[in-house]
Amino acid sequence: MTTVDQAGSWPAGARAAAGDAVTDVATDVVGDAAPAVPGEGATPGTRGRRPSRLLGIRTEVPASWRIGFGVIGVLAILALWFWSSQGDSALIATPSESWSAFTQMVGDGTFQTDLWASAQRVLIGYGISMVIGIVLGIATGTFAAVDAFFEPMIGFLRYIPAPALIPLFLLLLGIDESPKIWLIVVGTAFYNVLMTADVARAVPREMINASYTLGAGRWRILRRVILPHSVPGIIDVARINLAAAWSMLVVAELLAAQSGLGYQLIRSQRFRAIDAMFAILIAFGVIGLLSDVLLRQVRNRVAPWSRP
Amino acid sequence: MVPPVSATGTDPTPTLADVLRPGTPKLVVDDVTKVFAGRKQTTTALEHVDLHVDQGELVCLLGASGCGKSTLLSIVAGLETATEGMVTVDGDRVVGPGADRGMVFQAYSLFPWKSVARNIAFGLETAGWPKARRQERVDELLGIMGLTTFADALPKELSGGMRQRVAIARALAPEPDMLLLDEPFGALDAETKRHMQDFLLSLWHRTGTTILMVTHDIEEAIYLSQRIYVLAARPGRVAAEIAIPFGGARGPNTKRDPRFLDLRDELADLLAT
Repeated sequence: MTTVDQAGSWPAGARAAAGDAVTDVATDVVGDAAPAVPGEGATPGTRGRRPSRLLGIRTEVPASWRIGFGVIGVLAILALWFWSSQGDSALIATPSESWSAFTQMVGDGTFQTDLWASAQRVLIGYGISMVIGIVLGIATGTFAAVDAFFEPMIGFLRYIPAPALIPLFLLLLGIDESPKIWLIVVGTAFYNVLMTADVARAVPREMINASYTLGAGRWRILRRVILPHSVPGIIDVARINLAAAWSMLVVAELLAAQSGLGYQLIRSQRFRAIDAMFAILIAFGVIGLLSDVLLRQVRNRVAPWSRP
Repeated sequence: MVPPVSATGTDPTPTLADVLRPGTPKLVVDDVTKVFAGRKQTTTALEHVDLHVDQGELVCLLGASGCGKSTLLSIVAGLETATEGMVTVDGDRVVGPGADRGMVFQAYSLFPWKSVARNIAFGLETAGWPKARRQERVDELLGIMGLTTFADALPKELSGGMRQRVAIARALAPEPDMLLLDEPFGALDAETKRHMQDFLLSLWHRTGTTILMVTHDIEEAIYLSQRIYVLAARPGRVAAEIAIPFGGARGPNTKRDPRFLDLRDELADLLAT
């Protein structure tokens, strides 16, 4: 509403022009009073900032735009690769060279062998790490005493870079499979524990209290309430830290291995097989992407209730 | 220590409600004080609170936010312990939570991964009911709550009012001695809230369950209760005990009754001081 106060604060000319509007303004909304402002006459203006279609803060863009941007992003990186591989640079393989190196590795079976060797280490090592993460994480997030026990310990241990343990592991465990597997365990378990603890802490207090008032004891609440509530969160933790497991694997394989994708990478370097190196690097990305999609599917299948 | 409460109640000064509706004290809150010891200061949330709820009664704890009414309900539920004093149900001292005191929270307490039927069955599984009886009881409650067609729905597929009906059904399932409601309709819109209040009244008539309910809504408290304890804040204490004169009959006209309006003003004044 146009009030006397506002009218009083208008410039003198505006007040005069508004004079006839004031009589009917009481029944009008503010916007209608706009033509009363001197100058332009009867064209209504606009109020407020128009929201941005492209870069609105936390606003959705149309699905077609999403797909479009994704495609542009992938094409951009491919274009960058293609462009930088042109010319005489022998250090960057072209996409087509990489592809033929890849088909050749698949053809003679070395790729499958190395992939399986690496995947086996990741599955075993990361499996152990997830078991540790789930058991200790749920306990840490549920019981303050367990939290107090592990917090300073893990806070210290997780700052020791896991690859720094490789020399020690090689001495202690030899050069076969176990140092690689334990490097994956050590390199990911702390994060799995800490992140799973946060997942367990996210169980609403009221849900636990409601369970108590329904007669449930601690063990029952742990198994029937905290654990099922944490399942989707645990799968997400597994999904996020899986990348770190592959990192640890490659570090181990680069240093001491006779098989695996990381070993093949260092071997290709020795023989200056740049195209094979690129093929393996891209294979890592594709493996990661596929396992990410797979774990998302598992999450939605196992816990449809948590789907947004 | 206070001697055990006898079945007939031995309060030396009978309250108005005792005279109007002599009953058996089901629940007795005896001189309960709750102190929260913080690092910098201690807060007395409740100070020497005495109250009782009779068998089959519906009583509201009314107070502004911060008066400790929810803390008091948690102590009755056994989810928190009193610093001093004690709570007894049928003469038994409350030392922890149990299915005999079913509780309904404001929100977020349903198990989101369980269907409506499985949510309601949780307390029955805990109590070890055989499967056939469990199914029977769940079906019965689904019928009472008007949720039969939603038995297999997940909580996220339900409206706010329906979720609270599931929460009430779940609390009622193991046949508790009493129902504790902690602002159960606080998160609902006005229309749904009115429906749920009438629903709660009909449920109470039908089951005869003893109900102790926390609310900050004056009209809700008058409309539902037989008695109201008004709690004052800092420290939380019983400021008044008010008997509601409408008996069991409540309806749309209750809120237009001059006595209702007088009570509303009286309680508003009490809460304002």
